[in-house]
Amino acid sequence: MEEILNIFLKAAFIENMALAFFLGMCSFLAVSNTVKTSMGLGIAVTFVLIFTTPLNFLINYYFLKPGALTWISDSLKDIDLSYLSFLIFIATIATAVQIVEMVVEKSFPSLYNSLGIFLPLIAVNCAILGASLFMQEREYSSLSQVIPFSLGSGIGWLLAIVSLAAIREKITYSNIPEPLKGPGIAFITTGLLAIAFMSFMGIQL
Amino acid sequence: MNVQSNKYIYTYSIILISIVAVVLTLVSVALKPFQEENRRIEKMLSILYSINVQTKKETVANDYKRYIVNSFVVDSKGEIVKNKVAFEINVEEENKKPFNKRMLPVYVAEVNNEKKYIIALYGKGLWGPIWGFLSLNNDFNTVYGCYFDHKGETPGLGAEIATFEFQKQFKNKKLFDEQKNFVGIKTVKGGADKNNPHEVDAISGGTITSDCLTKMLFDGIKNYIGFLKKGNNYGK
Amino acid sequence: MENKEPLFSAKIKKTFLEPLNINNPITIQILGICSALAVTVKFKPALVMAISVVVVTGFSNLIIALLRNTIPMRIRIIVQLTVIATLVIIVDQILKAFVYDVSKQLSVFVGLIITNCIVMGRLEAFAMANKPWPSFVDGIANGLGYGIILIIVAFFREILGNGTILNEKIIPDFLYNAGYLNNGLVILPPMALIFIGIIIWVQRGVLIKKK
Repeated sequence: MEEILNIFLKAAFIENMALAFFLGMCSFLAVSNTVKTSMGLGIAVTFVLIFTTPLNFLINYYFLKPGALTWISDSLKDIDLSYLSFLIFIATIATAVQIVEMVVEKSFPSLYNSLGIFLPLIAVNCAILGASLFMQEREYSSLSQVIPFSLGSGIGWLLAIVSLAAIREKITYSNIPEPLKGPGIAFITTGLLAIAFMSFMGIQL
Repeated sequence: MNVQSNKYIYTYSIILISIVAVVLTLVSVALKPFQEENRRIEKMLSILYSINVQTKKETVANDYKRYIVNSFVVDSKGEIVKNKVAFEINVEEENKKPFNKRMLPVYVAEVNNEKKYIIALYGKGLWGPIWGFLSLNNDFNTVYGCYFDHKGETPGLGAEIATFEFQKQFKNKKLFDEQKNFVGIKTVKGGADKNNPHEVDAISGGTITSDCLTKMLFDGIKNYIGFLKKGNNYGK
Repeated sequence: MENKEPLFSAKIKKTFLEPLNINNPITIQILGICSALAVTVKFKPALVMAISVVVVTGFSNLIIALLRNTIPMRIRIIVQLTVIATLVIIVDQILKAFVYDVSKQLSVFVGLIITNCIVMGRLEAFAMANKPWPSFVDGIANGLGYGIILIIVAFFREILGNGTILNEKIIPDFLYNAGYLNNGLVILPPMALIFIGIIIWVQRGVLIKKK
């Protein structure tokens, strides 16, 4: 139980996908103009994450990693399919995103309209593929580690994007030099926010 | 032809996937020997690096033969295990086994007519695995040299464990205290006590990786305690 | 119906030059930021990363442009991702086989080229609607536009953070003796964001003045 909580808190705060590893920055910077749309995107990303990362974990565990196929027959133990992992992971993610897109379009049309092009772009959101690649890289060994990890990553990303959006809403009214307006100041704000988030890094769980 | 029909979509996907699968398998099979050779060369380079011999890819095979005079495998009690090749032991896999079932590779090098004993380490870093080799003088206590590497630590921060600047601190540090109790070597944030034989400076900005390294050193050397305590029997 | 265009027509030149400056993928289109940040601490990984991205954007644009009339609309995203992922795997395998040390430094970020929005964005915006040759040029140019920013950021971060370029010492010793210190803050990841912010500031400032 304690381990599950640790993994969750670590993924959400200390190793925040957006602010510690800068994953999912494209949609992060483009959508975070208003708190409402960021919230919607954050929820969509979290949902896709908790669905795809465990699924990719199972695929990796039972099919792709070196020696994974021994459950079929012992003679397959030398087969290493890990070179296919990028392709399989992204295929799982793309499929999951299309399903989410269909569900959102049917059930929440107003959210669908405000997210616009960014819903299909979740498929190329680095945070989601990144979570799957970290899951593989860090060699998590069971679903009880992967599920809190993906939930924590999603919620951490949501928190980061919503807080950036809140800052940007306020910044609209400030007097910023013309060339710095828009993306320029967004980058610098995110940088400062990330430096603030680095203070979590020292925490030992 | 109707490009949007279901039948077309299915056929299209199947053809695409088959082409991709064939291409990727060909590439992977064709490049595998190069990648494996790289791994062998890298392992030899790292072992030599831990006894402060720096060499190049082209000359590593010869240098390895010249310096590494012997290698064997021990268990956690320090007994030599027969019929095992040290170079082929996968330390990562061994660390997953219960403590007293682990097979531990030892390489013996000869530098300036003195024997050095090289042990292998493996652990978890911040992003991915970290590993290394530690070479000891023939008192089985004093560090002669070391080598650390990592799979994906943050460049410029945790990744600095792989630099000479960091690794040179380990020379002449000791694993055991004067009462022959195992202490190991710690990375200390904010500067180590220069006179303490069990401390080195941690990497500034790479605290988590440094802590992981401390843990790897402690756990990794603990595996070998049986061997190190018996050490003198092998020295002769 | 096809008018033969010369290989380097004015239009192609425009396709090539725009992404390098006035339509730069990072600073103007704000795409592909993720990987830009993590690999720019040192010059060499940034360079290899830039080359890898150029290869992937160029060839994925070329392949999709060749296939553009055969791709069913409903599965186009998956087809595009398959092509990109295949190219990235090939690049990753080649890096592992021939420049093993750099490929280790880049670690997961080679894989993350797949989700680099530049690649996907150019496929959607250009290659799906254009002929192979202009698409190839567009892909290469966007890759280069991305690479330039990576290299500029990496240049400043390595020289300010480590005092080196390609691991060669650049800052002379007398400066250190006079009390100059390497700036540890620059190596920290958030500074990459702030550098890109500054580049955008400078670039937009120049562009606005021109108008």
